[in-house]
Amino acid sequence: MARLLVVDDESSIRLLYSQELADAGYDVVTAGSAAEAVTQLEAGEFDLVVLDIKLKNESGLDLLQKIVKERHDMPVILCTAFSCYKDDFSAWLADGYVVKSSDLQELKDEIRKVLAKKSR
Amino acid sequence: MEFACCWTKKELAPGDCPNIGEGEEELLSAHRRRIVEKCVECPLFTDDLLRFQESGHPLSEIFPIVINELLDLKSQLQSLGGFLNSKTREIKFLHELSLVLQTSVDLDEVLSVAMTAITAGKGFGMNRAFLLMADKEQQALRGYLGVGPRTMEEAWHIWEDVNQSNLTLRDMARLFQKDKLSSEKVKFNDILERLTVPLSEQQHVFNRALRQRKPILVENAFSNPDIDPALVELLGVDSFLVMPLISRHRRIGLIIADNCITRKPITNQDLQSMETFTFPVAFALERASLYERLQVEIDKLTVANSKLKEQQELIVKMEKMALVGRITSSIAHSIRNPLMIIGGFARSLLKSIEQDDIKRNYLETIVLQAKQLEDVLEEVLTYSESLHPALDAWDINQLVSRVRDELSGLFAQHNVSCVLEPESELPKVSIDYRQISYCIKTILTSALGTITGEGKIVIRTWRDDGVVVVTISDNGTPLPPEMVETLTTPFIVTQELGTGIGLPLCKIILEKHGSPFIIETSPEGGTQYIIRLPIKEGM
Repeated sequence: MARLLVVDDESSIRLLYSQELADAGYDVVTAGSAAEAVTQLEAGEFDLVVLDIKLKNESGLDLLQKIVKERHDMPVILCTAFSCYKDDFSAWLADGYVVKSSDLQELKDEIRKVLAKKSR
Repeated sequence: MEFACCWTKKELAPGDCPNIGEGEEELLSAHRRRIVEKCVECPLFTDDLLRFQESGHPLSEIFPIVINELLDLKSQLQSLGGFLNSKTREIKFLHELSLVLQTSVDLDEVLSVAMTAITAGKGFGMNRAFLLMADKEQQALRGYLGVGPRTMEEAWHIWEDVNQSNLTLRDMARLFQKDKLSSEKVKFNDILERLTVPLSEQQHVFNRALRQRKPILVENAFSNPDIDPALVELLGVDSFLVMPLISRHRRIGLIIADNCITRKPITNQDLQSMETFTFPVAFALERASLYERLQVEIDKLTVANSKLKEQQELIVKMEKMALVGRITSSIAHSIRNPLMIIGGFARSLLKSIEQDDIKRNYLETIVLQAKQLEDVLEEVLTYSESLHPALDAWDINQLVSRVRDELSGLFAQHNVSCVLEPESELPKVSIDYRQISYCIKTILTSALGTITGEGKIVIRTWRDDGVVVVTISDNGTPLPPEMVETLTTPFIVTQELGTGIGLPLCKIILEKHGSPFIIETSPEGGTQYIIRLPIKEGM
């Protein structure tokens, strides 16, 4: 079972993702801030990170850079309310980009695709 | 000695002298004037003089000498008076002409006045005149206007009309400009076309006149070795005047005048009169053409000014729109998270609710409404972003392929295959990647909506004359023309968001990219969407 780390400052979203992704067959761990995410990443093994860009006063893109730098084999999918970051150079470091939607099908498809690519 | 003539009487009664007519009663008592004006030419006086000569009087030899000298002087005086009168008329005419020429800045009016002055009986009375203008670009003199009759019949007709009308020169010119200017140009078109002479032909009579800055009276043209036989044949006259039009050292053109109908000889007097006339004509022509060019430039400036004004208004409008865009964008982003949570949990709950549970309807409504709101947000955000396209060079095949992959789940769900037929090695196009992705995505979703059952969508790309063409064809139900119009009507404020502004928005975005948005019947039987994206320069 693939293990996912969901990073979002909104607790309701963390809850929704945990339920839906668990239903889709993933082991889901959540983090509400960049610091918490770093701690989780250091504490355990993950197959993929789902990362929000706006994290209260922190930037998800900074965390993305940090993950890529320290754990370059760790796939990251950016999941955000802003479609405009798609053109941002920093966002290009991510393996996937999904605009937040009440229908999580696109996110699930993206996770499946990225994990399949990783296992190849 | 008795005399037959009344010259000896100081006072006369009316009827005494047969040479004093009505209105000349003053002469009855003006003895000296009567002798000089009437008696010296009276046959009775001549008889008296003969008889006086025969009388042997010592003065009888001298008297006739004095009388003959007096008659000679009188004749000279009369001729000088005639000359003076004609000169006065000429000065009056030139004054009237120069007044008109000085005050007019209308090229057609100047031409009409000049040509009327040459050909009218009240003017120089020539039968026919041609105006040639110097063409700076072509470095040639070109036939511009011809005035006058072409046949004897036409001549009589014109002259009869002119005699009856008793118009001033200016009125005649006005009538000419109003009724005849255009038709005269056409009437002499055959001759005017053949009157073109390059300025480099130094020996041509036209260029000689321009070079010498003096009119030339050509006589015996048919046998004159200095005159081009083709010109003589064209004009069909043995004598004509060539008058250069020069203003401040600039060659404006020249006028040819002749008496092609009456064949009346052209005199040096005619030449001298017209020489005085050509300078104001040249000056007026130059001023009128400069004014005409100035008017063109003013018109251009006016158009540019109004465009500039429109642009300024557009900029203000764009700035306002941009502000509205930023506000809506900020609101939309704030709404997206809660909306996603509401819709997301409703979907989650829906999975665990039985099919016949009444709560299922409520949850389905929440899911549907949340999705619709999300669509509205997407459109609002795309619209606000469409105000400022960020153009860059992109590979259209890669973009189309990526959008198709994004929608692959949706295609599978609707049992529709989406085939990409790209032309390889296409140049990059200058587009806003996100906006064009939105357009392709919207078109594909719209195409999908028209397909019932198993279907097929084909995306083709190819290069065509400075653009890359993208066509998306489906085999769904074709869109009726009125619906196509509605679908592409530009986004208006009264239109509700989330209720199909997708295609109008595509039209706005594509137009901002300089591409038309064409919707027509596809070869597959459904609808075909065509867009033409500009190739990035240097690609």
